[in-house]
Amino acid sequence: MRKPSLPLWLWAGVIFVFLYAPIAVVIVYSFNSARHGGPWQGFTLDWYAKLFDSREKIEAAKNTLVLGLASTGIATVLGTLLGYGLSRYRFPGKKLFSRLMYIPVVIPDIVMAIAMLMFFSLLRDRLGLFELGMTTMILAHVTFQIPFVAIVIRSRMIGIDPAIEEAARDLGASAAQTFRHVTLPMILPAVVAGAMLAFTLSLDDFVVSFFTTGPGAGTLPILIYASVKRGITPDINALSTLIVLVSVIGTLAGLLLERPRRSSGES
Amino acid sequence: MQTQNRRLLALSLVAFALAVGACTKAQEPAAAPADAAAAGPTEPVGPCALNIFIWSEYLDPEIPKAFEKKYNCKVTIDLYEDNESMVAKLQAGATSQYDIVVPGNYIIPSMIQLGLLAELRPANIPNLANLDDKFVNPAYDPGNKYTAAYQWGTAGIYLRKSAAKHQERTWKLLFDPALQPGPFLLMDSPREMLGMVLKWKGYSANTTDTAQLKEAAEVLTAAKKRSQGFEGGVGGKNKVLGKAVTASIVYNGDAVRGMTDDPDTVYFVPDEGGILWVDNMAIPAKAPHRDWAEKWIDFILDAQVGAQLSNFNQYATPNKAARAFITPADLANPAIYPPADFMSKLEFVNDVGNASKLYDEIWTQVKSK
Amino acid sequence: MATPGRSKQGVEVRFGERLTPARQIVRSALTSGPGILWVNVFLLVPLLAVIAMSFLTRGSYGQIGLPLTFENYTRLAGFGAFGFDPLYPLVILRSLVLAAGTTLVCLIAGFPLAYFIVQLKPRAKQIALTLVVIPFWTNLLIRTYAWQILLGPESLAARLGTALGLVEAGQPLYPSLGAVYLGMLAAYLPFLVLPLYSSFEKLDWSIAEAAMDLGADAPRVLRHAILPQVLPGMVAGMILVFIPAVGQFVIPDLLGGARTVLLGNAIQQQFGSSRDWPFGAAIAFVGMAVVMIGLWYYARTAGSDSEEALL
Repeated sequence: MRKPSLPLWLWAGVIFVFLYAPIAVVIVYSFNSARHGGPWQGFTLDWYAKLFDSREKIEAAKNTLVLGLASTGIATVLGTLLGYGLSRYRFPGKKLFSRLMYIPVVIPDIVMAIAMLMFFSLLRDRLGLFELGMTTMILAHVTFQIPFVAIVIRSRMIGIDPAIEEAARDLGASAAQTFRHVTLPMILPAVVAGAMLAFTLSLDDFVVSFFTTGPGAGTLPILIYASVKRGITPDINALSTLIVLVSVIGTLAGLLLERPRRSSGES
Repeated sequence: MQTQNRRLLALSLVAFALAVGACTKAQEPAAAPADAAAAGPTEPVGPCALNIFIWSEYLDPEIPKAFEKKYNCKVTIDLYEDNESMVAKLQAGATSQYDIVVPGNYIIPSMIQLGLLAELRPANIPNLANLDDKFVNPAYDPGNKYTAAYQWGTAGIYLRKSAAKHQERTWKLLFDPALQPGPFLLMDSPREMLGMVLKWKGYSANTTDTAQLKEAAEVLTAAKKRSQGFEGGVGGKNKVLGKAVTASIVYNGDAVRGMTDDPDTVYFVPDEGGILWVDNMAIPAKAPHRDWAEKWIDFILDAQVGAQLSNFNQYATPNKAARAFITPADLANPAIYPPADFMSKLEFVNDVGNASKLYDEIWTQVKSK
Repeated sequence: MATPGRSKQGVEVRFGERLTPARQIVRSALTSGPGILWVNVFLLVPLLAVIAMSFLTRGSYGQIGLPLTFENYTRLAGFGAFGFDPLYPLVILRSLVLAAGTTLVCLIAGFPLAYFIVQLKPRAKQIALTLVVIPFWTNLLIRTYAWQILLGPESLAARLGTALGLVEAGQPLYPSLGAVYLGMLAAYLPFLVLPLYSSFEKLDWSIAEAAMDLGADAPRVLRHAILPQVLPGMVAGMILVFIPAVGQFVIPDLLGGARTVLLGNAIQQQFGSSRDWPFGAAIAFVGMAVVMIGLWYYARTAGSDSEEALL
């Protein structure tokens, strides 16, 4: 394999600068003492201090975390089972359902968001259930998380040597036992990776949350959007920097967990 | 696969039919609680909690804190930037989640028709008597059945003097390319923005004449193409302060506070005239804490609290008892209390009934071109 | 010992047990069942509701109800209350053009990048891929509003723009179509690079080397030896960019002001200030139709190869 040529290095360099410039500028500007988001005026940690003072932002952070953890929990369980089931068992209509499962992955999120909004409104009118709020957001998030988790699990299952499971069955274990004691430990890194993926998706989501949220259930992305619309205030930069930090740490952790099993360079 | 597809089709049709059936029943206006009448004052039961849905930067943070202290309450505040989005949220179900909303006068008749508001029980709101005569029994809510005035004011041009190439007090700054002061923003509020264009053209801000509306749409679309886009009043003010634009359209109170922050900025309603608005406190139809909401309205209508509110957000108070406590400088400020002779050039934006659909259509056109 | 294969009755023997069709269904119900049920109930059924909603009427106060009507679709086609105006067809066209343009730009930027990464040593490869993935996982909203700062009135980029004569002094580079493209590129590049890269990984270089030995120049090598092999990943990446890009509304909203109204903004407006759910549903349905056609075409032409590439 030859080494990349100089033009390619330059190209890659430009692209990486381009990809990281937004992140860098947010971090830098979170220390900018200019009050209305104007040009650089001086270094300050004030905006970080202000964050912890704001009840609204702490509430939003709490909501984001609750939403992320709850939805990830549910989606990981259902998604793992789904990925496993699709890779092992056949049933009538399987091909169709496999295809349908991809819809949340590729559908424009605004279409998904309004569809759920309508659905919840209908249910609320008829049954009085599903007031917009944390519950509806969790339900919505799980819906787009499941396919992603399932895809990760399924792709891992393809790499699993069936001989091990066969051996367990031959030794007298039931299917459920085999799954719990043999299969699951083998795919555990993928399950964790799927969970991290789901969590990041939830943390990152804005559009779906925006349409399915209710009073007091605002999340950080919703808060940031409202603030940006009103005129970027520097404390939002501080908040964003913290969120970026969490995402970066989470991503690295997820990748590290995935790596030992991987022989190829894919991520 | 054939039977597969057919089954799927059949299922879809059934689901479709069910969905249609469900959707059509979905929007029956809920019967607003009609127990206003001559009942005596009711005392709130249970612990105090209040969910307020209000415009951003419209409420002195000390006021909910004082209310919380007085009644041992937990007050949560959610924000919005325009009337229509607030109503959209209520229609989507927030009527049972918020206790107080603050709609502009022109949208109140629609809200009443849609059954989104609960009636006020005057026995629980003795301070209603403090309202200035102009705001008692208003046309948009006869008898104050559903609302009590909160603040009123104007909307106009807010610009940075040192950066503006033109500063004449005319709407032409925005609508005539020759007089453009610099990068500018328009206001993201359909009735009000269109109203300002109509006033400039010499028409009524509540016209239902399609030719006039079309003219206004053309002016606005042309202006949009030269502008930096649409922004809410508060966002526009902040962008001028942040020097991201030279001019924007802003509500007067926000502008006055901006001017104090940065004396290089100025606010005015152009000479051709403009629009007036009145924001009102109202209680959504299924508010979870109706009694406490009424206590809140009573609290705001108190003379001192009312003055504290207006002194903070620098809008005009509809509370005649509060006037005694308003900062004298504010009372004399024409940006907050327009002089009597100028009032004739200002027009309230009102509900236009069925013609609302025309305004909706025009606005969508302007935004989408 | 049980060996994999089918016995005479059509009962499979796999993974050490007899899997009758009935057993497979039960197992499927227990494992795949909940997940599939969830997605069906909470997404597929609501999507049907959207279609249903698009045929309803919006009353003068914003209430929704009968009669069933095609009015939303005729309005979408351009026949509104003020005469014919191809407003919405243009909005949809603009969205498709933006999505296609974004895909193209991502391809131009991403192809060399993928080629670059595959040539690195394994350690460096990991690092490079991680670097590509990290922004991908950072909040899109934050990255997008950061472009407002980057393109703001006194920023480096804006001053460059003034020097180049693109804007007047002191004016920001956004809102503008260019800013939207920049934002879209930054948002969707990883979606294209990752599947493309995974195809590059599986590339058989000997074919390219053989072509070069036979005297082909670089463009020919690219076209005939490399491109056919990376096509599955490339197409997967293009689909992953194009389809979501069609309905994107945050980026045009924050970087395009109101001068660039696209499908996503139009839908959002109907559910916000315009309060016209049936019309919004109609717009969404047309958007979905585009997605469905794209997916169907993709499934047809690419087959199972592409599914793997998607992973």
